[in-house]
Amino acid sequence: MLQIVAMDSAPTQIQPRTKPLQALPAKIFHWVNAISLTTMLMSGLQIYNANPVFGGREGWHIPPFFLLGGWLAGGRHWHFAAMWVFSLNLLWYGIYILVTRRWKHRFVGANDLKALQVGKNPKRKVYAWHRIVYTSIFPILLLAIFTGIGMYKPAQFPWIVDCFGDWFALRVVHFATVPLVLLFAIAHSLLALKAGGERMVNSMFWEDML
Amino acid sequence: MSDTPPADHPLSRRNLLRLSGYSFGGMLLTGVSFTLLESLAGKATEPLNQSLEEWLLKPQTPVPEFPASAIEPEALIVNTYGYTPEIDPIAFRLTIDGEVENPLSLDMATIQQMPKKSMVIRHVCVEGWAAIVQWGGVPVSELIKLAQPKPEARYAYFLSADRYYESWDLASCLHPQTILAYEKNGEPLPVENGAPLRLASPIKLGYKLSKWVGQITLVSELRSRRGFWEDQGYEWFAGL
Repeated sequence: MLQIVAMDSAPTQIQPRTKPLQALPAKIFHWVNAISLTTMLMSGLQIYNANPVFGGREGWHIPPFFLLGGWLAGGRHWHFAAMWVFSLNLLWYGIYILVTRRWKHRFVGANDLKALQVGKNPKRKVYAWHRIVYTSIFPILLLAIFTGIGMYKPAQFPWIVDCFGDWFALRVVHFATVPLVLLFAIAHSLLALKAGGERMVNSMFWEDML
Repeated sequence: MSDTPPADHPLSRRNLLRLSGYSFGGMLLTGVSFTLLESLAGKATEPLNQSLEEWLLKPQTPVPEFPASAIEPEALIVNTYGYTPEIDPIAFRLTIDGEVENPLSLDMATIQQMPKKSMVIRHVCVEGWAAIVQWGGVPVSELIKLAQPKPEARYAYFLSADRYYESWDLASCLHPQTILAYEKNGEPLPVENGAPLRLASPIKLGYKLSKWVGQITLVSELRSRRGFWEDQGYEWFAGL
């Protein structure tokens, strides 16, 4: 039992077994985000293929396995349908973490940086890295939305295009969020497993939900 | 204790399999639902997206233009669905008909004497590329004003010599930067770019910007055929 508590490593509190490790809103956000973000990614790559950012029509195309929509129009339909689910999910979660003050203790803080610099506990260090990485997804997602609005409605939001210099730079940054999200997904999964073991991973997906 | 993992091998094959399951679960899920929801994605949210686009459109506010030094002459890709029609500019007439009090048939000399609008704008293609181009021509609002639209007119069809067809909401047609261009980057409009007359506007995607426009028909209701690409699944409003 003691070992399990150490593994889930929520810093100092010992939670009774009856209380779920993750709050229900966090689980809902995580599920909706994972699915809508995957839809955004796959339909976005379908759109990318109409005229690859790098090299234009002669450029390298993404293999069909990773695409959603069948062709450009289908990819756009998926992209501009999923954008509502994806961005509104992020919005309510943002409000939720502000209202519940969850942002104060669930995201990276000075204590994590301190643990990495002067800490002696290797598990605490892994946990600090885990928090740094999962906090990083929020600026990545916000950047994807910001650059996406600039490409979707450049006539209404020309200043967004201007922020990045020109249209090509805007496309590159919007596209760059794809590898960033993929790198995040890999690092986040591995660190979650390392920091909290199977129990933590379970707790975010299906524990107490079935 | 019974539902906790065996502590002796936390990174077992089972765990790794499960981890890969998490990564690919979303993909599989969308793959399966794709066949069920294929057309639903567009149909369900297009009305919502169109409302957003109509709400964002400022019908009489010009989009900021660029200096002539920003023009990218090589960036404009020639996209045509079929062939390039040959049009005799002397015999050419632009017809404006439908829900108007004063149907018109104008030759190029008359059109070029009308108020001219020149603008350097970003031309954005649905494929994702964009080009900064100078267009010069007559505002569509001037042509429609001359034809005196009836109050019931709500949409305009643009019919092209290559049988390409498009329909627009009237507010976007009357935007001060929606023009029928006969000039590109300071030169007479090349035939592959739509000479003698083509639509140019910063507020619509490129597939709305018909080349070789010969007829504008105002209507009160959209027909079943709304546009060449729209009828194959592209979004109709296509506002920027």
